[in-house]
Amino acid sequence: MTPSFLSPALCADGTTTSPLRRALGRDGWSAYLGDPEQVRDVSLQGIVEIRGAVDAVAPEAGEELLRLSPRRGFLFTEANPVEVVARIRATGALAYDATGALAGIAIASEQVMRRLTDLDLDAIPTAGPFARVSALFRRGPDGWFHVYVQQELGHYAAEAVLDALAGLEQTTWR
Amino acid sequence: MSFLLACPFCGPRPVDEYAYFGEVTTRPSSSPSLRELTDYVYFRDNVAGVQREWWQHRAGCGEWFLADRDTRTNDVLEVMVPEPRKQA
Amino acid sequence: MRLDPRAGERIDRSSAVSFTFAGWKITGFEGDTIASAAFAAGKRVFSRSFKYHRPRGLLCCSGHCPNCQMTVDGVPNVRVCTEPIREGAVVEGQNVRWSLDFDFMSLTDKVGGPFTPVGFYYRTLIRPRAAWPLYEKFLRSAAGLGTLDPRAGHTRRYDTEHRRARVLVVGGGAAGRAAALEAAKAGPGVVLVDEDARNRDLALGGVEVLAPARALGIWEGGLVPVDADTVLYRFRAERIVVATGATEQPLVFPGNDLVGVMLPDGVRRLLRDYSIRPGERAIVLGSDDETLAIADELVDVGVEVAKVVDLRDVRPRELAAQGGKGRVRRLVLDGESYGCDLLVASGGRQPAYSLLAQAGARVAFDDSLGVFVPTELPDGVEAVGSVTGDGLSRIAPEPAYQGNGKCFVCVCEDVTTKDMKRAIGEGFDSIELAKRYTTATMGPCQGKLCHLSSIRVYAEETRMFESAIGTTTARPPWAPVELGLLAGRDLTPARRGSIHWRHEEAGATIQWAGPWLRPYAYGEHPEDEVRAVHESLGVIDVSTLGKLFVEGPEAVQLLERLYPNRFGDLKPGRIRYGVLTSDGGRIMDDGTIARLAEDLFYVTTTSTGADAVTAWFEWWNAVWGYDAEIVNVTGALAAVNLAGPRAREALGRLVDDPDDVSAEDFRYLDAHELEVAGVPTLALRIGFVGELGYELHFPSPAGEHLWDALVAEGAVPFGLEPQRVLRLEKGHVIVGQDTDSESNLYSAGMSWLPKLDKDDFVGKYALEHFAEREEKERLVGFTMEEDVVPAEGAQIVVEGMPVGRVTSARRSDAVGRVIGLAWVPSDRSEDGTRVEIQVDRLRKGARITHGAFFDPDGERMRS
Repeated sequence: MTPSFLSPALCADGTTTSPLRRALGRDGWSAYLGDPEQVRDVSLQGIVEIRGAVDAVAPEAGEELLRLSPRRGFLFTEANPVEVVARIRATGALAYDATGALAGIAIASEQVMRRLTDLDLDAIPTAGPFARVSALFRRGPDGWFHVYVQQELGHYAAEAVLDALAGLEQTTWR
Repeated sequence: MSFLLACPFCGPRPVDEYAYFGEVTTRPSSSPSLRELTDYVYFRDNVAGVQREWWQHRAGCGEWFLADRDTRTNDVLEVMVPEPRKQA
Repeated sequence: MRLDPRAGERIDRSSAVSFTFAGWKITGFEGDTIASAAFAAGKRVFSRSFKYHRPRGLLCCSGHCPNCQMTVDGVPNVRVCTEPIREGAVVEGQNVRWSLDFDFMSLTDKVGGPFTPVGFYYRTLIRPRAAWPLYEKFLRSAAGLGTLDPRAGHTRRYDTEHRRARVLVVGGGAAGRAAALEAAKAGPGVVLVDEDARNRDLALGGVEVLAPARALGIWEGGLVPVDADTVLYRFRAERIVVATGATEQPLVFPGNDLVGVMLPDGVRRLLRDYSIRPGERAIVLGSDDETLAIADELVDVGVEVAKVVDLRDVRPRELAAQGGKGRVRRLVLDGESYGCDLLVASGGRQPAYSLLAQAGARVAFDDSLGVFVPTELPDGVEAVGSVTGDGLSRIAPEPAYQGNGKCFVCVCEDVTTKDMKRAIGEGFDSIELAKRYTTATMGPCQGKLCHLSSIRVYAEETRMFESAIGTTTARPPWAPVELGLLAGRDLTPARRGSIHWRHEEAGATIQWAGPWLRPYAYGEHPEDEVRAVHESLGVIDVSTLGKLFVEGPEAVQLLERLYPNRFGDLKPGRIRYGVLTSDGGRIMDDGTIARLAEDLFYVTTTSTGADAVTAWFEWWNAVWGYDAEIVNVTGALAAVNLAGPRAREALGRLVDDPDDVSAEDFRYLDAHELEVAGVPTLALRIGFVGELGYELHFPSPAGEHLWDALVAEGAVPFGLEPQRVLRLEKGHVIVGQDTDSESNLYSAGMSWLPKLDKDDFVGKYALEHFAEREEKERLVGFTMEEDVVPAEGAQIVVEGMPVGRVTSARRSDAVGRVIGLAWVPSDRSEDGTRVEIQVDRLRKGARITHGAFFDPDGERMRS
């Protein structure tokens, strides 16, 4: 057996849902409806966790390697993660499909970021704290901040983002 | 406590990103007496000064590393990655 | 009262703003503060003092002193001298019985003086003991500041924002501005923080100005929280420049707190910013040219200046202010009396060094200036301007002048010179002790206006030098801050498995289970869900289980050394129960270990243990360096336990070939890969709930789909509570509930588990010792003789003495009794022993049992 049962890509069509569907999805609950101009759900786009010889992994077109240490990294990919896992394992490193493990939130506002993390935003891409949980950070192709948290914390994190956004609109009344 | 600690991989970060695992101890290598075992399990030097201790960058890369920290000032003199891949 | 328009005034006379002030309607102008508008309208009393309820009026007009604290729109302790005016605001006095101008409690000032010396409540109100709650209630209502409405809820929204600065300048005076501009030459990242609202629109090239905002303290790592009203900026600064200046100190003389006694800067603000004539007949007392120069300014606006006293030249034996109804009427100077309604008095300026001291600077008494100055600044922190003592005049006045009336050292806490002397007389002969006893410097001004005075009075009384007395410790926050601002937004991370919303939609009762939100049960009757599992088919969401891969050529060696169990002989496709112990031999966590391939293991942990177990494994491997990786995939995989006699049949309908799940091909403790309802799945045949069951682990995003498919097959969702009953019927232990940090494998009845013949494993040495000794207590099962459920934690009683405790107890329909687990002394742990258990106030009989209560041979789960 292999860890292939991690891969949402192996699930039949129509069987998967985003962890942020209720928080940010168009078909979600209106009470939680996000602002598409400010926040977007970028979950379920290919992510592969790499262990071992990270530096031997060569990102291909449409891929970004987030190197956390010489032995830990994440590869964001537009290709099928199942194939990417096989490709990386062929180099001798270990690879695991993390696509279903993480909830991805794309955030336009730098100020929302500053309200939820004390990370130096210039240090992105990196890993760090976000709304009191651990997260991966990268700049998306759209220039937005893409923040990935464990999927089970995704709804919480999305609520925190929407709440921080609401806070920006508040005017001081004193 | 708000001092910065430099992760060997991520650079300086606020200390609350890390998990602290206490001073480095020496595990007895063969069947110890109850006293030796108790010393190892329960007793710590707790120095007022520089000690070598375990930290994990839990909110960041997740790696464990060693740091020499002055417990009086929180000055971190050095951080190190544990000796690579050697079996005890 | 309001002067004709003047150059530089900050009010916009074309724009009127109205609000109510202690019941009066007052109209001021845009640009006014609440205090300036009220003062212009003739209001003089703004608060009642902390202890004596003396009337207090404007003193500093800078937001430092306590005198103008009022409740504004329900928010207590707002300093109205810096609070901008706004239409419709409701401003009320606080710590007042009746009204600001007439306060019943001011009786304590008239008659209470001799009976209420400093610390009186420590001494006179201690007997009878039982009456203290009454005394306390009275004292709390009689003294203090504004009150919070406990029912008000969130009146404001507070946010936290994390910022970085290359250079952070605190203080926007001349020195601060110059330092900021100089720093800005080297590039961006310069921020200047100033508390003065008048600097709101200050433009400094290349410098970001935050005003009004207050730096609350300087912490390690250049952390400076800045209070910007509803946003707390947490600055991390590479370099911090403190330019907090020097604070005007009140002169200490009898009557120095009367309404109409003001600091020169306060008078200047009323005059220059708000074009208010601050009085009709004034007297000026001071010892520096800056203070004395205010006489000319007052004359310019038509105030009669009755007398100017330069305390460098005049050394009065008697100096006191007297008045009526709390307002200053005259100054008595060596027997002569001078009428006035405004007494401008300054005791000189003290560097505002608190932030520097918090940052680690030393503070020393400067004999030439008569003030405390900061020295030995820590790395990365600088001081510029008068906070260093630069440009200050020597403090010339006496520490305190003599005369009739109360002479206040600390107006916040109503501490007089007499109180200070009394404290010293009682033996509080260190400044830190005297501070705590009298509470001088501990009020809302945080010592800004009383720190120097209290030390000078102390020095005089004890005949010591100020330099020998030293200062009290400066602590954050430097300025009062609303607790809501420090708390910020509520960020309580909630973990929800990918099937969570299906449970909410099904109407489940959701409860916290460690960091997770989980269903307690789906209906009113958890026992119905238990019955469904026993009789037909149930399904529970166990996505919360910690899930780890341990993979690599040395994965088996690593696990052999982490667990007391053996894994070398575990065949691929098979599962083993494992318990983790610490090197102290204590039980830490448990779970199952499935060997998926020669060098690939799939480990589950308890629901709360995933992060800790991952860190534990990784730490040991950082020490040992095995060629194996530990990957936490808890979130990547959803997991459900499909359990009940119909489990095989139901699962068979969701896989391609029902033979894949036949009893022969998929045995108890087998691990198989299956495709279930189109979803790649790792199926583990284990039986935590005691029935034929499959734990299905599959990609989280498919959680709702697979759950729906199983429910469609007739599986009844069951929650945590039914699961607790089911596992208890099997006598299965929950680590952390039935065990604690003292439990070991022998006392918990798992002596079969550790393999002491292994070379080494974590906990081996301790377990070797435990194996040779007799355990004092053991974890056993019990059945109640009557149908009562003892509370978790209930005492086991033998011969009237508590000797053990219940860890779990539930009513089991399948067993037909109330069953449970308990720690009992070893000599009472034999099967069949009768013990008593405390249930509420009664003792109820129970019998000790060993093994499972239900299906003891495990035929059902192995079927």
